[in-house]
Amino acid sequence: MLRQPLTRALTLSSPVRAAPLAARTYAGPPPPPEKFEVFIDDKPVMVVPGTTILQAAAQVGVEIPRFCYHERLAVAGNCRMCLVEVEKSPKPAAACAMPIMKGMRVKTNSDLTRKAREGVMEFLLVNHPLDCPICDQGGECDLQDQSMAFGSDRSRFTDIHFSGKRAVEDKDVGPLIKTIMTRCIHCTRCIRFASEVAGVDDFGTTGRGTDMQVGTYVEKMFLSELSGNIIDLCPVGALTSKPYSFAARPWETRRIDSVDVLDPLGSNIVVATRTNEVLRILPRTNEEINEEWLSDKSRFACDGLKRQRLVTPMMKDSAGNLAPVDWEDAMVAAARAIKDCPPNKLLAVAGDLADAESLVALKDLVNRLGSENTCTEQYFPLDGAGIDFRSSYLFNTKIANIEEADYILLIGANTRFEAPLLNARIRKAFVHKETDIAFIGPKVDLTYDYTHVGDSASVVKDLATGSSTHEVLKRLESARHPVVILGADQLKTPEGAAILAYTQELALRLQDKLEDKNWKVLNVLQRTASQAAALDIGYQPGVGKALQDGPQVVYLLGADSGVVSRDQLPKDAVVIYQGHHGDVGAGMADIVLPGAAYTEKRATYVNAEGRAQQTLVAVSPPGRAREDWKIIRALSEVVGERLPYDSLDEVRDRLAEVSPALVAYGDVQDNNYFAQARALSQSLQKPVSGKVDVQLKQLEDYFMTDTISRASPTMAKCVQAVLKQKQSQY
Amino acid sequence: MSLSQLFIDNFLTNRQIVVGIFSLTDCYVKNNMFQVLRHTASLSRTQLSRSLPAFSTCPTYMKLADCDPICRKEAPKIENDTVTALPEEARQRNALDSTIQVPIKVDLTPVSGVPDEHIRCRRVRIYQPPKNAMQSGTSNIHHWEMEFDTRQRWENPLMGWTSTGDPLSNMKVIFRSPDEAIQHCEKNGWTWYLDVPKVEKPFKPKNYGTNFSWNRRTRVSTK
Repeated sequence: MLRQPLTRALTLSSPVRAAPLAARTYAGPPPPPEKFEVFIDDKPVMVVPGTTILQAAAQVGVEIPRFCYHERLAVAGNCRMCLVEVEKSPKPAAACAMPIMKGMRVKTNSDLTRKAREGVMEFLLVNHPLDCPICDQGGECDLQDQSMAFGSDRSRFTDIHFSGKRAVEDKDVGPLIKTIMTRCIHCTRCIRFASEVAGVDDFGTTGRGTDMQVGTYVEKMFLSELSGNIIDLCPVGALTSKPYSFAARPWETRRIDSVDVLDPLGSNIVVATRTNEVLRILPRTNEEINEEWLSDKSRFACDGLKRQRLVTPMMKDSAGNLAPVDWEDAMVAAARAIKDCPPNKLLAVAGDLADAESLVALKDLVNRLGSENTCTEQYFPLDGAGIDFRSSYLFNTKIANIEEADYILLIGANTRFEAPLLNARIRKAFVHKETDIAFIGPKVDLTYDYTHVGDSASVVKDLATGSSTHEVLKRLESARHPVVILGADQLKTPEGAAILAYTQELALRLQDKLEDKNWKVLNVLQRTASQAAALDIGYQPGVGKALQDGPQVVYLLGADSGVVSRDQLPKDAVVIYQGHHGDVGAGMADIVLPGAAYTEKRATYVNAEGRAQQTLVAVSPPGRAREDWKIIRALSEVVGERLPYDSLDEVRDRLAEVSPALVAYGDVQDNNYFAQARALSQSLQKPVSGKVDVQLKQLEDYFMTDTISRASPTMAKCVQAVLKQKQSQY
Repeated sequence: MSLSQLFIDNFLTNRQIVVGIFSLTDCYVKNNMFQVLRHTASLSRTQLSRSLPAFSTCPTYMKLADCDPICRKEAPKIENDTVTALPEEARQRNALDSTIQVPIKVDLTPVSGVPDEHIRCRRVRIYQPPKNAMQSGTSNIHHWEMEFDTRQRWENPLMGWTSTGDPLSNMKVIFRSPDEAIQHCEKNGWTWYLDVPKVEKPFKPKNYGTNFSWNRRTRVSTK
């Protein structure tokens, strides 16, 4: 009775006494709450207060069956499959939602628990169709497995002649997800994913009891770049993959763990193959990159690997058409062109999907021939520190640490489409950590609320110099873990160097004041999977200067984004294209050398954080295509400048010579030298007046951005479906 | 046949010790018996033998020096075979029980029958199988596997089945720990590398109540 008025009186009357209380908020995080002991199946386990029974059981390796519960989604507690017996409790408790109490004794395998599960299972199966033989989920279905493991061994369903089973009309949610809503067991995982992770609050339930339906109410496409994940989440076959429908059974496929290269994050994937054909791509859990999600482009663009492929070496004939030739002829012709070319007129350009092995082989070859012209397609300003420090062009905060951030400033980076899973992390921080986000650039939909600071580049300058009166500056300065993310596209403009310099200035000013000295504020978000590795190896960013010199031989290593075109080259220039898809690069080439796509080679890719990862061979390259570094190694022999490596291990030794980080697979190193980069770029802080713009603004821009996704019919269907949805009134 | 003769037969065949028989047996058996007992007593003598039962013949793992016999709650179990074994038998059993240390690296490649090309040119990946993204269950992924690099597969034109020329393509061996897998690969001469999955994450208690919190963004809008 006394306590509350007294404390209130103290804080009200005497601000001096209140001061220590206020100061306490600046101290470190509160000590972790004390653990207490509970018993799961008589196994003791120490848990923190607030843990649910299901989580406590998971800690001792007891897996409680579930349908609606998912560890990355909110607790729904509506499937009741996780009912367990709690000692001294009259009824079974839903383990997924029940917080654990001190000394609680849970029995996950008692008669009561088993009976409860059998009852739940029986209710679920009453309205579930028996169409497992024609269901795509068959073989990897939670309902199938759990009915075998926890269901009753006999049926009480006698109603076979009366059509009493519930039937629900199928929904149309776009070209990626096939719905068979009769199979739905109303776990609401898809609804929770859409509203929490994807940030597209379109799914919901309508009706009650038997009439309950999951859907969008009006016919509407699921307009998200993460939509494919609800196929994985669905514990039954209600949501299945449309491109993969009726293609294969899970036990027929082989699964090869690999890494995605269609966005700069390098999400971990599992490639499912059968008979030398990639059938589908699924996410693979990596808590430091993609958790267990995957973006739609990475997941569904795999049918592009079978189309528009370069399967044989080609050379331009007298009529100017590309005609198939033997490897020998193509090699000799390419070698002759390279040998005849004066060293300073030889140019090598690396594209979006080039791997580190072929990058280093090509650079070594070109350097041995006396040329320094190795470039990437993406530009990065070389003034000031340029690419001398790794910290200047990488995502230094690291993807997983975004969850810890409390204020995020995006400068011209539409993370939703440039790196969808990074955006999912930002959204996670937004939802669960109350992180606020500010955005400089055109107004775009990031799936969460943000403070729009305008789209003028001078805003960056004002923030960096501290002359801005915007509240964003105050929020950034008071943040404990601020993050500044600069989109690499901004660096292409003539003002790019200045924007980078101001961003460095801003980030470093914030970083210097932080209590947490290990926290990194500055991030540059690259657009492609190859850029970080190429810059690590020493490629010059951007082709502009090299093209002005009028190169005689241009070697395109998968360079398809169109920055090199025939008009910019001298009439007699020879273009050699090495890559896997017939796209812009092959279209302008005189000699085509077919390479392997990322599912067909063991290759190293460095993601935007600077984390080296390797893809594994899932299928062999089609036709006469070969692994990329081998082509360059063979060519070096014909040119007469033999490269000193004969096996992949030796190439990787060479990569380790260039930078050990390139072969430290799975790990990412902390970057330093921020202060030096800032000091070098101080002179570049010139007035800026331009606009900050992003390339990918709408969902339809997202789907087709590289050679593989441009060749994919599924991605083309997505673009059409999104455009059609735009016409709809909903 | 006397009663004592019967006991001797019984003793010699079954090797059961009944303390009472000594008074009934003849001298030969007595001598032999005491020899056995003396030997087993010497076997059990350790630094702590002053407090050990005089005839403790418990197996070596039970009479550890760090285990204080005073604190022991039960009398040690004595195996009959150990008590009654003759000295040469005990010596032989000791030799069989002990592990053999092989000083040099084991190399199975000359005898394993695997073609040389599949030993030198292959690379083994040692990994923990990832959870199937399509399912919730995890009970079949708590082990380590090894697999070889993938080689070409094609569809057999006769049956439409998948063919391969790679004899090791289906060799997936399961291990409890990566160390076992590494040892296996070393013995067979394969180049291996370890792929450790990044699945560690900080523990966060789940809370049903956050769905309804009035001032947080976790509040659920759709149901």
